[in-house]
Amino acid sequence: MSSQFKQLEKLGNGTYATVYKGLNKTTGVYVALKEVKLDSEEGTPSTAIREISLMKELKHENIVRLYDVIHTENKLTLVFEYMDNDLKKYMDSLTVGNNPQGLELHLVKYFQWQLLEGLAFCHENKILHRDLKPQNLLINKRGQLKLGDFGLARAFGIPVNTFSSEVVTLWYRAPDVLMGSRTYTTSIDIWSCGCILAEMITGKPLFPGTNDEEQLKLIFEMMGMPTEATWPGVSQLPKYATSSASFQQQHPQQLQPKDLKALLQANCKEKLDDVVINLLHGLLQLNPDMRLGAKQALHHTWFSEYYQRQT
Amino acid sequence: MSVPTSEAPTHTGDNNDPLDIPTVVLPINFLKCSRSDLIVLISRMLVFLIQINDNNAKTEEDKNGPTEAKLTRFHSSTPPNISIYNYLIRLTKYSALESAVLLSSVYYIDLLSSIYPSFTLNSLTAHRYLLTATSVASKGLCDSFCTNAHYAKVGGVQCSELNILEEEFLRKVNYRVIPRDNNISLCEFEYQQNEFSITNLNILPKDLQLSVMQKNSGYNVLEMYYRKMIQLIGSFSSSPDKNRRVDYKLEERVPNVSNIRDDIPNHPIRDISIRPPNKRSYDISAENNNDTFSNRSSQKNKTSLINHNKKLATEEIKMQTTERTK
Repeated sequence: MSSQFKQLEKLGNGTYATVYKGLNKTTGVYVALKEVKLDSEEGTPSTAIREISLMKELKHENIVRLYDVIHTENKLTLVFEYMDNDLKKYMDSLTVGNNPQGLELHLVKYFQWQLLEGLAFCHENKILHRDLKPQNLLINKRGQLKLGDFGLARAFGIPVNTFSSEVVTLWYRAPDVLMGSRTYTTSIDIWSCGCILAEMITGKPLFPGTNDEEQLKLIFEMMGMPTEATWPGVSQLPKYATSSASFQQQHPQQLQPKDLKALLQANCKEKLDDVVINLLHGLLQLNPDMRLGAKQALHHTWFSEYYQRQT
Repeated sequence: MSVPTSEAPTHTGDNNDPLDIPTVVLPINFLKCSRSDLIVLISRMLVFLIQINDNNAKTEEDKNGPTEAKLTRFHSSTPPNISIYNYLIRLTKYSALESAVLLSSVYYIDLLSSIYPSFTLNSLTAHRYLLTATSVASKGLCDSFCTNAHYAKVGGVQCSELNILEEEFLRKVNYRVIPRDNNISLCEFEYQQNEFSITNLNILPKDLQLSVMQKNSGYNVLEMYYRKMIQLIGSFSSSPDKNRRVDYKLEERVPNVSNIRDDIPNHPIRDISIRPPNKRSYDISAENNNDTFSNRSSQKNKTSLINHNKKLATEEIKMQTTERTK
């Protein structure tokens, strides 16, 4: 380990690891070294087993590459492709005073395209990411964006009974998961993509709830309260009854969905067109079956300049 | 067929008449198969393999004189005092193992053997192997899992030992713990190239290149192991493990019911049969293995079967005391 890589500055603390910048002494290439402490009770953390076993299969330009794993006495070091920054830190750096700023729309589009490309690849390989958020999207100076941190990911091709609903950071968690659904699939990641798209436009998280109840409330206030008519089966979800009751208590009159375009426009300097709002609605459908797939989203008109160039 | 008649003390079946053996029809989807039936199948499969390997080792020794056994971390000094069947029940019960985890533990035998020739599933290695395989599979595949401290306690080893076994296992299979198509082939290539991940894809055969470069959506491996186990040791008379007197049959597939996995019989077979047949591997994909096995069991395995059954009787008592103290 010490012979091959030189450990440089600390880049951050992940959920279960510390990340350092590193230099491959033989090739002169920078890497990110993710150090995982091996706990004597836990053994190798499940997050590390997943991250390694899933990421070594995922070779795509919009997914951070895992080059190697190094075992030492009481830690495991994952050697990743080095990226300059993550989307969260980048957006934070644009803040003026106390005012978060959105990204320029052409950059929003380029990032969203790459996010969906990377995600489509995961989904084709039957892998759910389950923790998409700006912190886990790594970017570099060339404007590339790559998916990272697969510690919560899982291969959904392996049939297992237990699907946890304790996945995805709260702000980016889909309403069906918040209401306790355990039968979710790729649509869980698509919701997160919608939240990220809105956040890139305005610089602010779309649904910054502090707990599960508030999170659902924020979503319903914006998108409307789902019913059996708009989302068949919703009333069967474990937490539907309680969340719907408390929502009606707070909003006795029927609440109309808000105008997403007007809301985002208030925090965006450029003029938003209906095309991007249409895509956003496709990603942020309350009913998971109605959400766009990653491949479908890539074919949305908003991206036409990219796919026209490709063919 | 000369199968010993009186088995574990709980069994009444003194009759060898095949007509007497009840048949249980197992669902096509292994998720719908009860875990108690799955445990019987897996136990039969493992005992089958252990017998073959123990016998092979013995034959080898008879021929060439005492050879130095290749010791691995999975070895015990003497065979543990609990049957595979009871050990599986214990692990499943106290560590809440899922069906996919149980099946993965069978798949991992092929995975590990393919790149670790010193490893053989035999009566000395089977228990530690099973404990390691099931805890790694739970942590790698499931959303609910326990700490190694818990798995170790259930499995009867020190936690520090399980940590070492886990690391050994993960390192050997190069973290390829997801049972999917081509996984074993890719694991072998990485092993041959001594690489964490294959960077030069040109060394791979075309079909593997495709599965690496593009999508790998094949997840038929566990289902295939399930089917092949039923074929191989579903019938009570062909199984050396006599813990449940029952014949298993796979449910007939109803025509026209959409079944997404219709491509199973010919698709991922290379994953399992790629290894050259060697002394300990069992070729689960060979359709005629049933015959081979019946010969083996009737000719060679008589003595060990009897010993095995004697052991079971004492084990059951020990198991009970363990569980009572728990």
